[in-house]
Amino acid sequence: MADLKKLHDAVLNGDAKTAVAVTQEAIAEKMNPAALITEAMIPAMAEVGRLYECEEYFVPELLLAGRAMKGALELLRPLLAESGAKPTGHVVIGAVKGDLHDIGKNLVASMLEGGGFEVTDLGADVAPEKFVSAIQEKRPQIVCLSALLTVTMPAMKRTIAALKQAGVRDRVKVLVGGAPVTPEYAKEIGADGYGENASVAVTLARQICAGVPGFGDGKYRFNSVKIV
Amino acid sequence: MLANGLFPESLRWQQHLEYERSRFRIEADENFIGGKKMPVINQTGLSKQRVLDTINHRTPDRVPVDFGATAVTGIHASCVAALREHFQLEKRPVKVHEPFQMLGLVEDDLRQALCVDVQGVFRRGTMFGFKTEDWKPWCFNGLEVLVPGKFSTTITPAGDTLIYPGGDLSAKPSGRMPKGFHFFDAIIRQDHFDPDRLNPEDNLEEFQPLTEEDLDEIAADTAAADRGDCALLASFGGTALGDIALVPTPNLADPRGIRDVTEWYISTRSRRDYIHQIFSRQVEIGLANLARIHARIGNTIDILFLCGTDFGTQTSSFCSVPTFRELWFPYYKQMCDWIHRNTAWKIFKHSCGSSERFYESFIEAGIDVINPVQCSAVGMDPEFLKSKYGDRLVFWGGGIDTQHILPFGTPSEVREQVLRRCEIFSKNGGFVFNAVHNVQAGTPVANIVAMIEAVKEFNGEA
Repeated sequence: MADLKKLHDAVLNGDAKTAVAVTQEAIAEKMNPAALITEAMIPAMAEVGRLYECEEYFVPELLLAGRAMKGALELLRPLLAESGAKPTGHVVIGAVKGDLHDIGKNLVASMLEGGGFEVTDLGADVAPEKFVSAIQEKRPQIVCLSALLTVTMPAMKRTIAALKQAGVRDRVKVLVGGAPVTPEYAKEIGADGYGENASVAVTLARQICAGVPGFGDGKYRFNSVKIV
Repeated sequence: MLANGLFPESLRWQQHLEYERSRFRIEADENFIGGKKMPVINQTGLSKQRVLDTINHRTPDRVPVDFGATAVTGIHASCVAALREHFQLEKRPVKVHEPFQMLGLVEDDLRQALCVDVQGVFRRGTMFGFKTEDWKPWCFNGLEVLVPGKFSTTITPAGDTLIYPGGDLSAKPSGRMPKGFHFFDAIIRQDHFDPDRLNPEDNLEEFQPLTEEDLDEIAADTAAADRGDCALLASFGGTALGDIALVPTPNLADPRGIRDVTEWYISTRSRRDYIHQIFSRQVEIGLANLARIHARIGNTIDILFLCGTDFGTQTSSFCSVPTFRELWFPYYKQMCDWIHRNTAWKIFKHSCGSSERFYESFIEAGIDVINPVQCSAVGMDPEFLKSKYGDRLVFWGGGIDTQHILPFGTPSEVREQVLRRCEIFSKNGGFVFNAVHNVQAGTPVANIVAMIEAVKEFNGEA
């Protein structure tokens, strides 16, 4: 029988080969695909996030764990769709217009996927109108904007303005992050939340989705979303 | 002594004339520097002495200043243009001497206006592999500049600018500047590789023994920069260990090995043997090159830019200290030991972000100068850094925050922070004023001027 602890440890240790092998074994045994995610992968990525927060893991370990998790998730995706399993929430993420740096954004996307979210990754150098289209098409609860550079930070403000102009701003919570971004800047541009790292982004996303009817306990908790 | 500090009969004078001719296509004669006739300046070498004092932890006559001596202490070309206009200097287009970040050459007249005490010595090859020669006009974002002759670009349907390694338009582009933006980012060109068949030689293509032509150029450019006034900071290249800006090799047409940034970071965790093999061979080549350079130029330069690998992030670091000590430290120590045993050069290390946890290891390895001193990162409080390391590390940078205050603050806020940083860092020497990394595009010229004026004020020259 496929060993979920082995899958958990493979993701935690960034061992993509083992993660994929165990997942294939589990699929062959017709294990519930959602169980692999909720009992192995989500706890593993949560532990990865904790280790990153306490500086036992760093960017390379996050990248490896993310790779292992994605390898397993790729195999499970078609099965999840068939089974009708619901994700924790839906997030659209991208690095804003002019910013080509995507490692940080990719880490956040990986951690969100590992946290059970469905993630639409728009990539880097994303124009405001592309975020608007993604909201209209994918109907996410959350939009994550990333900027690594001082010169691209203003594109976050322009993106939020574009969401307002398109009439979709109220449909989503906007989280921002990236090296030069601060909580003060997040407030100034009208974002709903700021994550100083990938782990915090996942925590915020969970808080947001816990307040949305149909997810979590259904209690409306948007007002408790924390600007850190 | 002539205005350029050289004597006509010396070999260095001949080299200077050659330099002037090749750079500026003029018939150079005495008193020509940078293609322009200069007055007699600073015969007593006060700038050089103040830098030497401070890098040896002696109190200098005033805080020395660097703008433009390296590719991490420079100024974006658009800001150089704005400064030239502000100071009413001769109207001429700015030379983009570092095309990856679009840094403008800080020429002698601007260097004087900014009270700069350090002159950079650069390799003629740029990050895109072509040399800084045969200047031609180029326009970006409405600004006319001069770029090297082999600076070759195309425009995508979306309006982005693509640039090509070595100027070879038949190769895949190696850099991209989004439409309306200010500098290039490397395009990752990572071929499929078999992780079980990695060959370290593939990651060593860019680290080669210098040719005689290379050495001639280095010697000529060093001699031309050595006018006896400023301290000399040289960036000869070849000794950066896993500098992520260089891993994608935007200078090579067909890079092999691990060239993807994510894959490289992963390799520092999961392929350490491979990284060790690369670093070991790279240091062997790098030290052999430095030996040959030193044989030609001796101690003409004062400081050597050793490595630009960033170990810090905004809030943390890219690896733990034990990982650093296992993977990088032995090679830094090997290079620093050789340099200190065989030369009088001080060793300059750049590391962005929250890097303080590595400072003891840097010092132990033999690093003398740390840059950019990103005080906005976690754990990088200036007073803490100065009190803990101030007698053992020279802080080259840290003068003004470039993420928020310099680009977005008021001139008054800029002045306040500059004065405070000078006060903290300058005690007992060990401080060269520079912004935290390059002055970025879009920084208001009023703020840059406020920064310069604040340093002058601190130095009692306002």
